[in-house]
Amino acid sequence: MTSPQVLLLAIGFLAVGLWLMLPRGNARGRGWGAALSVIGIMAMIQAGSLAGQLPLAAPWGYRSVVWLLGGITVVSALGAVVMRNPVYCALWFALSLLGTAGLMLLIGAQFLALATVVVYAGAIVVTFLFVLMLAQPEGQAYYDRISWEAALSAITGALMIGCLTAAISRLPYADLQPDAATLKLRDRSFAVEQHVAELGGRLFSEHLIAVEIAALLLLVALIGATAMVRQGAKPPSAEGEGVAESSVAAAKGGPR
Amino acid sequence: MSDPSLLANYLWIGAMLFGIGLVGLAARRNLIVMFLSAEIMLQGVSISLVAWSRFYHDWGGQMFVLFIIAVAACEAAVALALTVVLFQRAGHLDVAFWQKLREDSLTEYVDHELPVVLDEESHWPELTPAGRRPAEDPTQTPYRSHV
Repeated sequence: MTSPQVLLLAIGFLAVGLWLMLPRGNARGRGWGAALSVIGIMAMIQAGSLAGQLPLAAPWGYRSVVWLLGGITVVSALGAVVMRNPVYCALWFALSLLGTAGLMLLIGAQFLALATVVVYAGAIVVTFLFVLMLAQPEGQAYYDRISWEAALSAITGALMIGCLTAAISRLPYADLQPDAATLKLRDRSFAVEQHVAELGGRLFSEHLIAVEIAALLLLVALIGATAMVRQGAKPPSAEGEGVAESSVAAAKGGPR
Repeated sequence: MSDPSLLANYLWIGAMLFGIGLVGLAARRNLIVMFLSAEIMLQGVSISLVAWSRFYHDWGGQMFVLFIIAVAACEAAVALALTVVLFQRAGHLDVAFWQKLREDSLTEYVDHELPVVLDEESHWPELTPAGRRPAEDPTQTPYRSHV
Protein backbone atom coordinates (compact mmCIF):
# COMPACT_ATOMS: atom_id res chain seq x y z
CA MET A 1 0.00 0.00 0.00
CA THR A 2 1.16 3.51 -0.69
CA SER A 3 1.60 6.17 1.89
CA PRO A 4 -1.69 8.10 1.37
CA GLN A 5 -3.74 4.90 1.67
CA VAL A 6 -2.03 3.95 4.91
CA LEU A 7 -2.51 7.48 6.17
CA LEU A 8 -6.26 7.47 5.42
CA LEU A 9 -6.59 4.09 7.08
CA ALA A 10 -4.70 5.39 10.12
CA ILE A 11 -6.92 8.47 10.37
CA GLY A 12 -10.00 6.25 10.26
CA PHE A 13 -8.69 3.88 12.91
CA LEU A 14 -7.65 6.73 15.19
CA ALA A 15 -10.98 8.55 14.82
CA VAL A 16 -13.03 5.45 15.61
CA GLY A 17 -10.72 4.53 18.48
CA LEU A 18 -10.90 7.99 20.02
CA TRP A 19 -14.67 8.04 19.62
CA LEU A 20 -14.98 4.69 21.37
CA MET A 21 -12.75 5.81 24.22
CA LEU A 22 -14.32 9.20 24.93
CA PRO A 23 -16.98 9.18 27.66
CA ARG A 24 -20.40 8.69 26.08
CA GLY A 25 -22.80 7.89 28.86
CA ASN A 26 -22.71 4.23 29.71
CA ALA A 27 -21.59 3.13 26.26
CA ARG A 28 -19.14 0.23 26.19
CA GLY A 29 -16.16 -0.54 24.03
CA ARG A 30 -13.31 1.39 25.64
CA GLY A 31 -10.92 -1.55 25.33
CA TRP A 32 -11.62 -1.78 21.61
CA GLY A 33 -11.17 1.97 21.40
CA ALA A 34 -7.75 1.80 23.05
CA ALA A 35 -6.66 -1.01 20.72
CA LEU A 36 -7.91 0.83 17.62
CA SER A 37 -6.21 4.07 18.70
CA VAL A 38 -2.85 2.37 19.22
CA ILE A 39 -3.16 0.64 15.85
CA GLY A 40 -4.07 3.97 14.25
CA ILE A 41 -1.08 5.74 15.79
CA MET A 42 1.31 3.01 14.67
CA ALA A 43 -0.17 3.01 11.17
CA MET A 44 0.19 6.77 11.05
CA ILE A 45 3.88 6.56 11.87
CA GLN A 46 4.23 3.83 9.26
CA ALA A 47 2.61 6.13 6.71
CA GLY A 48 4.98 8.92 7.67
CA SER A 49 7.99 6.64 7.35
CA LEU A 50 6.81 5.43 3.93
CA ALA A 51 6.46 8.98 2.70
CA GLY A 52 9.58 10.38 4.26
CA GLN A 53 12.26 7.86 3.21
CA LEU A 54 14.49 9.28 5.90
CA PRO A 55 17.96 7.91 6.48
CA LEU A 56 18.26 6.34 9.91
CA ALA A 57 21.43 7.81 11.32
CA ALA A 58 20.88 7.20 15.02
CA PRO A 59 21.88 3.79 16.41
CA TRP A 60 19.04 1.33 16.97
CA GLY A 61 19.34 1.40 20.75
CA TYR A 62 18.92 5.14 20.80
CA ARG A 63 15.93 4.93 18.49
CA SER A 64 14.24 2.24 20.52
CA VAL A 65 14.56 4.37 23.66
CA VAL A 66 13.01 7.26 21.76
CA TRP A 67 10.10 5.07 20.68
CA LEU A 68 9.63 3.65 24.16
CA LEU A 69 9.50 7.09 25.75
CA GLY A 70 7.34 8.45 22.95
CA GLY A 71 4.92 5.55 23.33
CA ILE A 72 4.64 6.13 27.06
CA THR A 73 4.05 9.84 26.48
CA VAL A 74 1.40 9.45 23.80
CA VAL A 75 -0.48 6.58 25.44
CA SER A 76 -0.62 8.32 28.81
CA ALA A 77 -1.76 11.53 27.11
CA LEU A 78 -4.61 9.48 25.61
CA GLY A 79 -5.39 8.19 29.09
CA ALA A 80 -5.39 11.70 30.51
CA VAL A 81 -7.88 12.81 27.90
CA VAL A 82 -10.38 9.95 28.02
CA MET A 83 -10.52 8.87 31.68
CA ARG A 84 -13.86 9.37 33.38
CA ASN A 85 -12.47 10.05 36.83
CA PRO A 86 -10.53 13.36 36.91
CA VAL A 87 -8.10 12.00 39.50
CA TYR A 88 -7.02 9.33 37.01
CA CYS A 89 -6.75 12.06 34.37
CA ALA A 90 -4.28 13.94 36.57
CA LEU A 91 -2.25 10.79 37.25
CA TRP A 92 -2.03 9.89 33.55
CA PHE A 93 -1.06 13.47 32.85
CA ALA A 94 1.78 13.20 35.36
CA LEU A 95 3.03 10.05 33.60
CA SER A 96 2.84 11.84 30.27
CA LEU A 97 4.94 14.66 31.70
CA LEU A 98 7.57 12.20 32.90
CA GLY A 99 7.74 10.77 29.38
CA THR A 100 8.12 14.27 27.96
CA ALA A 101 10.93 15.00 30.39
CA GLY A 102 12.68 11.79 29.35
CA LEU A 103 12.39 12.72 25.68
CA MET A 104 13.86 16.15 26.37
CA LEU A 105 16.70 14.64 28.39
CA LEU A 106 17.50 12.29 25.56
CA ILE A 107 18.23 15.06 23.08
CA GLY A 108 20.35 17.15 25.38
CA ALA A 109 17.91 19.51 27.07
CA GLN A 110 18.87 18.58 30.61
CA PHE A 111 17.67 21.73 32.28
CA LEU A 112 14.32 21.71 30.50
CA ALA A 113 13.71 18.10 31.50
CA LEU A 114 14.39 18.99 35.11
CA ALA A 115 12.28 22.13 34.93
CA THR A 116 9.38 20.18 33.42
CA VAL A 117 9.46 17.61 36.19
CA VAL A 118 9.85 20.19 38.94
CA VAL A 119 7.37 22.74 37.67
CA TYR A 120 4.66 20.44 36.32
CA ALA A 121 4.87 17.14 38.10
CA GLY A 122 5.95 18.78 41.32
CA ALA A 123 3.78 21.84 41.51
CA ILE A 124 0.97 21.75 38.98
CA VAL A 125 -0.10 18.15 39.48
CA VAL A 126 -0.17 18.59 43.24
CA THR A 127 -2.34 21.66 42.71
CA PHE A 128 -4.60 19.64 40.44
CA LEU A 129 -5.04 16.97 43.04
CA PHE A 130 -5.77 19.67 45.61
CA VAL A 131 -8.47 21.16 43.41
CA LEU A 132 -9.90 17.75 42.62
CA MET A 133 -10.18 16.92 46.29
CA LEU A 134 -11.78 20.29 46.93
CA ALA A 135 -14.21 19.98 44.10
CA GLN A 136 -15.12 16.36 43.66
CA PRO A 137 -15.38 14.24 46.74
CA GLU A 138 -18.15 12.19 45.21
CA GLY A 139 -16.12 10.97 42.24
CA GLN A 140 -19.03 10.27 39.93
CA ALA A 141 -20.40 13.31 38.19
CA TYR A 142 -22.66 13.25 35.16
CA TYR A 143 -20.51 15.72 33.25
CA ASP A 144 -17.51 13.38 33.43
CA ARG A 145 -19.54 10.70 31.68
CA ILE A 146 -20.71 12.66 28.64
CA SER A 147 -18.82 14.66 26.02
CA TRP A 148 -19.54 17.49 23.68
CA GLU A 149 -19.94 15.90 20.24
CA ALA A 150 -17.62 12.95 20.82
CA ALA A 151 -17.67 11.82 17.18
CA LEU A 152 -16.88 15.26 15.73
CA SER A 153 -14.11 15.86 18.25
CA ALA A 154 -12.53 12.48 17.50
CA ILE A 155 -12.65 13.10 13.74
CA THR A 156 -11.16 16.58 14.18
CA GLY A 157 -8.31 15.30 16.31
CA ALA A 158 -7.54 12.38 14.00
CA LEU A 159 -7.54 14.65 10.95
CA MET A 160 -5.29 17.11 12.73
CA ILE A 161 -2.78 14.40 13.65
CA GLY A 162 -2.94 12.94 10.16
CA CYS A 163 -2.32 16.28 8.44
CA LEU A 164 0.57 17.11 10.77
CA THR A 165 2.13 13.67 10.26
CA ALA A 166 1.90 13.98 6.48
CA ALA A 167 3.34 17.51 6.56
CA ILE A 168 6.22 16.49 8.84
CA SER A 169 7.16 13.50 6.70
CA ARG A 170 7.31 15.71 3.61
CA LEU A 171 9.59 18.37 5.04
CA PRO A 172 12.67 18.94 2.82
CA TYR A 173 15.11 17.74 5.45
CA ALA A 174 18.09 17.77 3.12
CA ASP A 175 17.59 21.47 2.38
CA LEU A 176 16.82 22.35 5.98
CA GLN A 177 19.97 20.81 7.33
CA PRO A 178 22.69 23.36 8.13
CA ASP A 179 26.02 22.73 6.48
CA ALA A 180 28.90 21.17 8.34
CA ALA A 181 30.81 24.42 8.84
CA THR A 182 27.86 26.13 10.50
CA LEU A 183 27.23 23.12 12.70
CA LYS A 184 30.85 23.02 13.76
CA LEU A 185 30.74 26.70 14.65
CA ARG A 186 27.55 26.25 16.68
CA ASP A 187 28.86 23.11 18.35
CA ARG A 188 31.45 25.21 20.09
CA SER A 189 28.66 26.61 22.25
CA PHE A 190 25.92 23.96 21.96
CA ALA A 191 27.70 20.69 22.67
CA VAL A 192 29.47 21.97 25.75
CA GLU A 193 30.04 19.99 28.91
CA GLN A 194 28.54 22.60 31.21
CA HIS A 195 25.20 22.64 29.49
CA VAL A 196 23.12 24.35 32.15
CA ALA A 197 25.75 27.03 32.72
CA GLU A 198 25.75 27.85 29.02
CA LEU A 199 21.95 27.93 28.95
CA GLY A 200 21.84 30.26 31.94
CA GLY A 201 24.52 32.50 30.46
CA ARG A 202 22.55 32.89 27.26
CA LEU A 203 19.29 33.33 29.11
CA PHE A 204 20.59 36.23 31.15
CA SER A 205 22.54 37.89 28.35
CA GLU A 206 20.72 37.50 25.04
CA HIS A 207 17.23 37.11 26.47
CA LEU A 208 17.43 39.43 29.44
CA ILE A 209 14.45 41.56 28.46
CA ALA A 210 12.34 38.44 27.96
CA VAL A 211 13.31 37.30 31.46
CA GLU A 212 12.16 40.65 32.86
CA ILE A 213 8.87 40.36 30.99
CA ALA A 214 8.38 36.82 32.25
CA ALA A 215 8.96 38.04 35.80
CA LEU A 216 6.36 40.76 35.28
CA LEU A 217 3.96 38.17 33.87
CA LEU A 218 4.42 35.92 36.90
CA LEU A 219 3.74 38.86 39.21
CA VAL A 220 0.61 39.83 37.29
CA ALA A 221 -0.63 36.24 37.34
CA LEU A 222 -0.02 36.03 41.08
CA ILE A 223 -1.94 39.24 41.75
CA GLY A 224 -4.69 38.26 39.34
CA ALA A 225 -5.19 34.83 40.86
CA THR A 226 -5.32 36.28 44.37
CA ALA A 227 -7.78 38.99 43.33
CA MET A 228 -9.97 36.47 41.54
CA VAL A 229 -10.22 34.12 44.49
CA ARG A 230 -10.93 36.98 46.89
CA GLN A 231 -13.55 38.63 44.71
CA GLY A 232 -15.14 35.44 43.52
CA ALA A 233 -16.55 34.34 46.85
CA LYS A 234 -18.36 37.64 47.40
CA PRO A 235 -22.10 37.74 46.71
CA PRO A 236 -22.89 38.82 43.14
CA SER A 237 -24.41 42.25 42.68
CA ALA A 238 -28.19 42.57 43.00
CA GLU A 239 -28.74 43.44 39.33
CA GLY A 240 -26.71 40.45 38.16
CA GLU A 241 -29.29 38.93 35.83
CA GLY A 242 -27.67 35.71 34.74
CA VAL A 243 -26.72 34.51 38.18
CA ALA A 244 -28.16 31.09 38.89
CA GLU A 245 -29.82 29.98 42.09
CA SER A 246 -26.98 27.83 43.27
CA SER A 247 -24.53 30.71 43.04
CA VAL A 248 -26.76 32.86 45.21
CA ALA A 249 -26.99 29.99 47.64
CA ALA A 250 -23.26 29.61 47.53
CA ALA A 251 -22.80 33.26 48.25
CA LYS A 252 -24.76 33.08 51.49
CA GLY A 253 -21.69 31.76 53.16
CA GLY A 254 -20.22 35.21 52.73
CA PRO A 255 -16.78 36.14 51.47
CA ARG A 256 -13.97 33.98 52.68
CA MET B 1 24.76 15.19 15.11
CA SER B 2 21.82 16.47 13.13
CA ASP B 3 19.66 13.47 12.40
CA PRO B 4 16.58 14.06 10.21
CA SER B 5 14.91 10.80 11.25
CA LEU B 6 15.29 11.67 14.93
CA LEU B 7 13.83 15.12 14.25
CA ALA B 8 10.90 13.55 12.39
CA ASN B 9 10.26 11.13 15.26
CA TYR B 10 10.15 13.93 17.77
CA LEU B 11 7.93 16.06 15.56
CA TRP B 12 5.49 13.14 15.20
CA ILE B 13 5.33 12.67 18.94
CA GLY B 14 4.73 16.39 19.36
CA ALA B 15 2.01 16.39 16.72
CA MET B 16 0.25 13.47 18.39
CA LEU B 17 0.32 15.14 21.78
CA PHE B 18 -1.10 18.29 20.20
CA GLY B 19 -3.92 16.41 18.48
CA ILE B 20 -4.82 14.37 21.55
CA GLY B 21 -4.94 17.52 23.64
CA LEU B 22 -7.17 19.10 21.02
CA VAL B 23 -9.62 16.20 21.26
CA GLY B 24 -9.73 16.53 25.04
CA LEU B 25 -10.22 20.28 24.94
CA ALA B 26 -13.06 19.94 22.45
CA ALA B 27 -14.85 16.95 23.94
CA ARG B 28 -14.54 16.96 27.71
CA ARG B 29 -16.86 18.95 29.93
CA ASN B 30 -14.97 19.01 33.18
CA LEU B 31 -13.12 22.31 33.66
CA ILE B 32 -10.05 20.68 35.15
CA VAL B 33 -9.77 18.03 32.44
CA MET B 34 -10.10 20.73 29.77
CA PHE B 35 -7.21 22.55 31.41
CA LEU B 36 -5.14 19.36 31.48
CA SER B 37 -5.78 18.91 27.77
CA ALA B 38 -4.52 22.42 27.07
CA GLU B 39 -1.36 21.57 29.00
CA ILE B 40 -0.91 18.44 26.86
CA MET B 41 -1.06 20.64 23.76
CA LEU B 42 1.66 22.86 25.25
CA GLN B 43 3.79 19.77 25.89
CA GLY B 44 3.51 18.77 22.25
CA VAL B 45 4.73 22.16 21.11
CA SER B 46 7.58 22.08 23.63
CA ILE B 47 8.82 18.72 22.34
CA SER B 48 8.79 20.04 18.77
CA LEU B 49 10.77 23.14 19.73
CA VAL B 50 13.40 21.15 21.63
CA ALA B 51 13.76 18.80 18.64
CA TRP B 52 14.35 21.72 16.29
CA SER B 53 16.84 23.17 18.73
CA ARG B 54 18.74 19.88 18.63
CA PHE B 55 18.55 19.68 14.85
CA TYR B 56 20.05 23.12 14.29
CA HIS B 57 22.33 23.02 17.35
CA ASP B 58 20.80 26.33 18.31
CA TRP B 59 19.74 27.52 21.75
CA GLY B 60 16.69 29.43 20.54
CA GLY B 61 14.28 26.50 20.79
CA GLN B 62 15.25 25.65 24.33
CA MET B 63 14.88 29.30 25.37
CA PHE B 64 11.42 29.31 23.88
CA VAL B 65 10.46 26.21 25.88
CA LEU B 66 11.79 27.81 29.05
CA PHE B 67 9.40 30.72 28.56
CA ILE B 68 6.59 28.33 27.65
CA ILE B 69 7.06 26.71 31.06
CA ALA B 70 6.95 30.13 32.75
CA VAL B 71 3.76 31.07 30.90
CA ALA B 72 2.24 27.67 31.69
CA ALA B 73 2.89 28.25 35.38
CA CYS B 74 1.11 31.62 35.18
CA GLU B 75 -1.72 30.01 33.26
CA ALA B 76 -2.06 27.29 35.87
CA ALA B 77 -2.27 29.84 38.70
CA VAL B 78 -4.96 31.89 36.97
CA ALA B 79 -6.91 28.90 35.65
CA LEU B 80 -7.00 27.11 39.00
CA ALA B 81 -8.12 30.30 40.74
CA LEU B 82 -10.88 30.60 38.13
CA THR B 83 -11.82 26.96 38.66
CA VAL B 84 -12.15 27.44 42.40
CA VAL B 85 -14.29 30.56 41.93
CA LEU B 86 -16.50 28.93 39.29
CA PHE B 87 -16.94 25.90 41.50
CA GLN B 88 -17.97 28.04 44.44
CA ARG B 89 -20.59 29.75 42.30
CA ALA B 90 -21.96 26.76 40.39
CA GLY B 91 -21.48 23.91 42.82
CA HIS B 92 -19.94 21.69 40.15
CA LEU B 93 -17.31 21.78 37.45
CA ASP B 94 -19.57 21.38 34.42
CA VAL B 95 -18.56 23.89 31.77
CA ALA B 96 -22.05 23.73 30.25
CA PHE B 97 -23.33 25.64 33.29
CA TRP B 98 -21.55 28.74 31.98
CA GLN B 99 -23.00 28.61 28.49
CA LYS B 100 -24.92 31.80 29.15
CA LEU B 101 -21.66 33.48 28.22
CA ARG B 102 -22.30 32.46 24.59
CA GLU B 103 -23.36 34.88 21.91
CA ASP B 104 -27.00 35.80 21.40
CA SER B 105 -27.27 34.12 18.02
CA LEU B 106 -26.38 30.68 19.35
CA THR B 107 -29.03 28.36 20.68
CA GLU B 108 -28.83 26.90 24.13
CA TYR B 109 -27.30 23.47 24.50
CA VAL B 110 -29.57 21.08 26.35
CA ASP B 111 -28.57 17.66 27.63
CA HIS B 112 -31.16 15.33 26.18
CA GLU B 113 -30.34 12.35 28.32
CA LEU B 114 -28.08 12.13 31.28
CA PRO B 115 -26.28 8.84 31.86
CA VAL B 116 -27.75 6.66 34.55
CA VAL B 117 -25.30 5.44 37.13
CA LEU B 118 -24.99 1.69 36.85
CA ASP B 119 -25.20 -0.37 39.98
CA GLU B 120 -21.92 -2.18 39.64
CA GLU B 121 -20.08 1.09 39.09
CA SER B 122 -21.51 2.85 42.10
CA HIS B 123 -19.86 0.42 44.48
CA TRP B 124 -17.13 2.15 46.44
CA PRO B 125 -14.66 0.58 48.84
CA GLU B 126 -15.80 0.72 52.43
CA LEU B 127 -13.53 1.51 55.33
CA THR B 128 -14.03 0.25 58.84
CA PRO B 129 -15.73 3.02 60.83
CA ALA B 130 -13.46 4.55 63.43
CA GLY B 131 -14.08 7.38 65.88
CA ARG B 132 -17.25 9.40 65.79
CA ARG B 133 -18.82 11.32 62.95
CA PRO B 134 -17.70 14.96 62.96
CA ALA B 135 -20.36 17.64 63.36
CA GLU B 136 -21.22 19.15 60.00
CA ASP B 137 -20.77 22.84 59.48
CA PRO B 138 -24.17 24.17 58.32
CA THR B 139 -22.56 27.08 56.45
CA GLN B 140 -20.67 24.65 54.24
CA THR B 141 -23.60 22.62 52.98
CA PRO B 142 -24.89 25.02 50.30
CA TYR B 143 -21.59 24.71 48.45
CA ARG B 144 -22.17 21.07 47.60
CA SER B 145 -24.71 20.40 44.92
CA HIS B 146 -24.81 16.66 45.51
CA VAL B 147 -22.71 14.51 47.74
